[in-house]
Amino acid sequence: MHGNANGLLLSGNHAVAHGVRLARPDVIPVYPITPQTPILEKITELQAEGQIAAELLTPESEHSAMSACISASLTGARVFTATSSQGLLLMHELLHYASGARASIVMCNVNRTPAAPWGFWPDQLDSLAQRDTGWIQLYSETPQESLDSVIQAFRVAETARIPVMISHDAFYVSHAVEPVDVPSQSLVDEFLPAFRSDIRLDTEIGRSFGAPNDQANWNRSRRELDASMQTVNDLVIDAGRDWGALTGRSYGPLEFYRTEDAEVVIVTMGSMCGTVRDAVDEMRDKGVAVGMLKVRLFRPLPVAALREALAGVPCALVLDRNYSPGTGGVLHQELKSALYGLAGAPRLHGLLTGVGGVNVAPGRIEQLVSEFSGKEPVVGPVWVE
Amino acid sequence: MELIKYQDEGQFSSGHVACGGCVEALALRVILNTVGKDAIGVVSPSCSAVICGGYPMSAVKIPVFHTTLESGAASASGIKRALLAQGKPDTTVICLAGDGGTYDIGLQALSSAAERNEDILYICFDNEGYMNTGGQKSSSTPKNAVTGSTPAGKTTRKKNLIEILAAHRIPYIATVSPSHLNDLAAKVEKAKSIRGTKVIIVLVPCLPGWGLPDNAAVRTARKAVESGVFPLFEVFDGVDYRLSVGTRSQSVETYLKEQKRYRHLSADQIAGLQAETDAEWDRLQARAVGGQV
Amino acid sequence: MNLLQSSLWTTQSSQSRLTGTWRSAMPDYRNLPSPCLGACPVSGRIAEWIRHVGKQDYRAAWETLVDNNPFPAIAGRICHHPCESACNRQFHDETVSICSLERFVGDSALAEGWRFDAPAAERGQSVAIVGGGPAGLSAAYQLRRRGLRVVLFESRGQLGGLLRYGIPDYRLDKAILDGEVQRILDLGVEVHLNSEILDAAALEKLRRDHDAVYLATGATSSKVLPGLDYAQPWVIDSAEFLAAANSGAPSQTGPRVVVVGGGSAAMDVARTARRLGKEVTVLALEPEHLLPAQRVEVDEALEEGITFVTGAMMKSLDAGAGGLTLSCIRVDFKPGDKRGEFSLAPMAGTEFELAADAVVPSIGQNADTSRWSGLIDSAGPLVATDGSWQTSAAGIFSGGDVASMDRFVTQAVGMGKEAAAGIARFIGAEADGAAGAKGPEVPFSEINTHYYPPVARNIAATAGVAERLEGFGEVQQGLSRAAALAEASRCFSCGTCIYCDNCYFYCPDMAITKLEHGYEVKTDYCKGCGLCVEECPTGSVMMYEDTRG
Repeated sequence: MHGNANGLLLSGNHAVAHGVRLARPDVIPVYPITPQTPILEKITELQAEGQIAAELLTPESEHSAMSACISASLTGARVFTATSSQGLLLMHELLHYASGARASIVMCNVNRTPAAPWGFWPDQLDSLAQRDTGWIQLYSETPQESLDSVIQAFRVAETARIPVMISHDAFYVSHAVEPVDVPSQSLVDEFLPAFRSDIRLDTEIGRSFGAPNDQANWNRSRRELDASMQTVNDLVIDAGRDWGALTGRSYGPLEFYRTEDAEVVIVTMGSMCGTVRDAVDEMRDKGVAVGMLKVRLFRPLPVAALREALAGVPCALVLDRNYSPGTGGVLHQELKSALYGLAGAPRLHGLLTGVGGVNVAPGRIEQLVSEFSGKEPVVGPVWVE
Repeated sequence: MELIKYQDEGQFSSGHVACGGCVEALALRVILNTVGKDAIGVVSPSCSAVICGGYPMSAVKIPVFHTTLESGAASASGIKRALLAQGKPDTTVICLAGDGGTYDIGLQALSSAAERNEDILYICFDNEGYMNTGGQKSSSTPKNAVTGSTPAGKTTRKKNLIEILAAHRIPYIATVSPSHLNDLAAKVEKAKSIRGTKVIIVLVPCLPGWGLPDNAAVRTARKAVESGVFPLFEVFDGVDYRLSVGTRSQSVETYLKEQKRYRHLSADQIAGLQAETDAEWDRLQARAVGGQV
Repeated sequence: MNLLQSSLWTTQSSQSRLTGTWRSAMPDYRNLPSPCLGACPVSGRIAEWIRHVGKQDYRAAWETLVDNNPFPAIAGRICHHPCESACNRQFHDETVSICSLERFVGDSALAEGWRFDAPAAERGQSVAIVGGGPAGLSAAYQLRRRGLRVVLFESRGQLGGLLRYGIPDYRLDKAILDGEVQRILDLGVEVHLNSEILDAAALEKLRRDHDAVYLATGATSSKVLPGLDYAQPWVIDSAEFLAAANSGAPSQTGPRVVVVGGGSAAMDVARTARRLGKEVTVLALEPEHLLPAQRVEVDEALEEGITFVTGAMMKSLDAGAGGLTLSCIRVDFKPGDKRGEFSLAPMAGTEFELAADAVVPSIGQNADTSRWSGLIDSAGPLVATDGSWQTSAAGIFSGGDVASMDRFVTQAVGMGKEAAAGIARFIGAEADGAAGAKGPEVPFSEINTHYYPPVARNIAATAGVAERLEGFGEVQQGLSRAAALAEASRCFSCGTCIYCDNCYFYCPDMAITKLEHGYEVKTDYCKGCGLCVEECPTGSVMMYEDTRG
C-alpha cells in the first residue's frame, strides 16, 4: 500500500498545488507573489483542467484574499490560499481575524525576506513574525513534506478549528524539484473526509458571527482558543501517524535525527534541516555524537516534548534563518523560553545562519559544531557565516 | 398620496442600538425586508455593525458576518463563492458598509470585486464621514462641512464614487434615500434580480454627525434629493443613466440650513455649493437624457 | 472543537433589549380635531367622510355625513361653508372644496336612493317639534334615530321652512329638498301640516302630552326699515317676495327694483328679481367686502347684472309719477364685536339719488317670542336657552332662528342636532355622551406638505349668465366624479388618521404595531425620536412628554 506508485518530479510549490487538489477545497482566493506564484499557477491550471473544482478567486491583494478565505470558511467551505513575505505581512490584520473567527483555513507561505531592502530569498522572518496571530504553524523541509503537510493540515485545522500555515523556504523548497509521491485521491479522501462545520453562515441556521463583544466575552473567546491550541500537538501527532499508516511517511511535531546519545543537538526548521541532515551524517561518520532536532510544529510550540528531548543533552545549537532585530533568532528565543528552569538543560547557542538566504553548506555546519559546542553561550545575537 | 408598499417580514428586529431617529436603521429595515430570508450579510465596522450586533444579540434575522473595515467586498465575495461551491447560487450576499469602508479604506476591495463582477449586493450607508468614531471626515464628506478632522470645514469636494463604480461597468448602481422608501425598496428588489456586482448608495443624514434634531433625518434626506444635492438615479452597465427624481424643487440653502455642520457658511459659500450642485445636476441631466456618458 | 456553544456566534434576537427606556417623549394618536371640524356648524367629521370619497366608498361617506346632518345635498348647495375658510390647505395652495364634495355625496345618495336605517330600537317617549324648518327637521331626524317618537307641527302647508320658502330654486332645487326631507319622514315622523302652535297655552299642552318639546319656529317677522311706509304697494316685504316667487306667482312690481340689505336673503331677493326680468340695485350699508352675504352670492349677482350700491343708506323716498326717487348718502360703516352689530356715520356731501319702481327691504328677520310669554323667558329678541338648548320651561327646548342670531341654515341644523341630544338626556334616553375629537385643532404646521404636492382646487362649474337669467335653474353645478376624487385627494385630513401606514413604515425601531383600525406604540422599543410624527401626513400623531414613572 505504500511506495511511489504515483511518483512525480515536482517542485515544492507544485507539490503543494497537488496537495491542494487532493484536499478538494471549495474556495481558493489567491494573489500572486514571488516565489509563491507556481502554487497559484499550478492551481489555476489544475482548475482549468477540471482537476480542481474549487471556486477560484483572484482579488486585488493578499488582504482581500485572506478576507475572502475567512468568510468563505465561515460559510462552510474548505478553503486554501498561498502567499509569501509582503503578502503575508499585508494579511497580518486578518491572520488575527482568521484565528479569532476559528476559520479552518490552510495556507501555504513561501518564506521570503521581507522588504526593505527588496529581496526574494529564503528567510523565515515573514511567518515567524506572525507567531502571535493564533495560527498553527508548520515548517516543511521538502516538497514531499509540503504536499503531505497540506493534507494533514486540513484535518488539524478542521478538528481544532484553528487555521494552519505551512511554510516552506523560498527556492530551496519552493522551486527545488525532486521525486514526490502523489497519493491517490481515494487515499486522501479516506484520510480527509469532506468537512462542513456545524456552525456556519447559513440561512437555515441564522446565526451571526463577529458582533461586537464585551470584555468578558472577548476574554472568553481567547480562553476557548487556548483550550483548542492545547489539543493541537496531539492532533498533529495523530494526523502524522495516520498519514504514515496510509503512505509510509509519518510526521510529528518534532523530528529527531540521530539524536540518540548526542552530545550536541542542532535545532532548526525548514530547508536548513536537509543541510543539517547531511552534516550530521558526515559528523557521525567521523564519530562526533551529534544529532538534529527538527521543529516541524512551531505554533503551538511543543514545549513539553522539547524539554523532554533536550534534558541532559550537554549542548544545543539553534540555527535561525531569520533575525528579530534587537533580539536575535526567533527559534532561539522560543527555545530559551521553552527550556527555562529545566534541570539538565543544554548550553543553548543561538546562531544566525543564512539570514537573507545566504547559503549555508554542510561543511559550515560542521565548523559551527566544533566552534560552539565547547563554548558557553553568549547573550545577544551571534552572526555566523 | 403614494402609500409605502414594501412588506415588513420581520427581518430586522426591535431592540437594536441605533440612535433614536437614525435613518440608517430605517433604511436597513427596508433593505433587509426587501432582500428577504434567503440572504447572508457582511457588515463592515460602521454604525451598521453596531446596529446589527451587540453580542450575543442580533438585530437581523439573516446570518451576518462582521468583517474588517476594508474587507467588505472581499468578504462578501468569499461568502458568495462558498455558496456557489455549495450549489446555492440564488442566496443573496449583501454587504452593509459605511462611506469610510466604501469610499476610503474599502475602495480597493470594492473595485476588485466590481472588476470580477462578483455576484454581490453592496450597500453603502453614506453619512458623509466617520460618524461611528465620533465624526471625522471621509472622502465622502462634502465641501465646507465641519467634521472632527475638518474643524474649519472641508476644503475639497466629495468623491464621486458613482463615476468610479460606473467606470467598472458593473450592471447596476443606484442612489437611494430614506425619504423615498418605495424607490429604495424598488431598487433593492431590482438589484436583487440582477446577477453581478450591484452597488446602492444610501444617503444617511447622521443626527449627531450633521447636527440634526432627532426627527430631522428623513426631511433632511428629502431636501437633499429635492435640492439636487443627492440626486436619485440608477446607472445600468456603467453607461445607462436614469433619473429617479427628475426635478429639483428646493434650493441647496434649504437643505443646508438645518444642519449644524454647515452653520458657519457664508453667503458666498452657499452660492458656491449651489453652483456646484447646479453643474453636477446639469451633467447628470445630460447623461440621463442621452442615456450614455 | 464544538463552536456551537462558543463565545462567537449570536444566540438571540435584539428584542430582549428594551430600548424604550431611552425615551423622554412618546408619540400618541389623539385624533385631534381639524380646523374644518371646529368650524363646521354641525360638527361634521369632514376629514373622515372625504377619505371615504377618496376611496370611492360614497355610501360610507354619506353615512358619516348624515351622522351629523341629514341634508348633505342641501348643505352642499347652500352652506356658507366656514369649513373652507378654516381649511389648512389654504396655507399650502387653496382650500379644499368641501362644500362641493358634500353636494357630490348628497346627490349620490339621492340618485342611489339610499335611506336611513330604522332606529335600532323604539323607545316609548315622545317629543313634539314645533316648526318644520332646518332646525326642527334636524332635531326630528336625530330624535327618530334614537328611537324616540316624533310629532312635528308645521304652520305652513309644506315642510322645509326657510329652505322651501326662503331659498330660491336657482340655489336649491326643491326636488333636492323634497328628497332629503322625505328620507327623514320615512323614519316615521308624525307630521301635522298647517298646524300652528299659537300661544303659550298650546305649547304648555304639548309639554303635557309629550315627554319634551322642541321649539323651532324660526324668525318669521321681517325687520322694519325706519322711514319706509310698508303700506305702500311699492314696498314689498322680502320674505313675501321670495315666498311668492318661489311659489311661481307672477310679479306685480315695476321694472326697477331696489333691494335694501346685504345679506343672503337680500341676494336671494335681488337675484330672484333679476330672473323675473327686473333692473335690480342692491343698496347696502356695508362696503362690498363686508357684505354679510357669501362672497360667491355677491359675485354671481354681479355677473347677473345686478348693480351694487354699497356703503350707503337711503335717507328718504319720494314717489312721483315717473317712479320712486331714493335719496341716499354714503356712510362710514364700522362692524361691531358681535354679529349684526355695527355703527354708522353718514358722510356729508356724498348724497345721491336712485330711481326705482319698487323697494324690497331685506334687512333681516325677527323671531316672535312674545306669544310664549309667561311660559318661556326671552333673551332680547330670542327665546332664552341654556347650554343644552333648554328654555326656562323644563322640557321645552328651542333652537334655530327663534333662539339664535346664528342664522345660516347649517347652523340651524347643528342646533337641532344638539337639542336632540339635550332632549334625549333630559328624558333619560341617553347618558351624557362622549363628544368627538377634543383638544386643540391641528395647525397647518403639523401637516407634512411633502405628501401633498400643490395642485389646483377643483371648482364646480357654474351655469352661464344668460342661461341663469332664463329661469330658476341651479347656478352651481355638481362636481364630476373625477373632480370629486381629485378634490378628495387634496384633503390634508388634519388630525384624522388615514391609515397610510407612514408611522409604521418610518419607524426605525419597528415600534409601531398595526391594529385592525389604527396603530399602537410599542413602549418597550419606542425611542421617542418623533419620525412617525414627522412623516405623518395628517398630523394625527403627535409627541407628548413621556410621563412614565
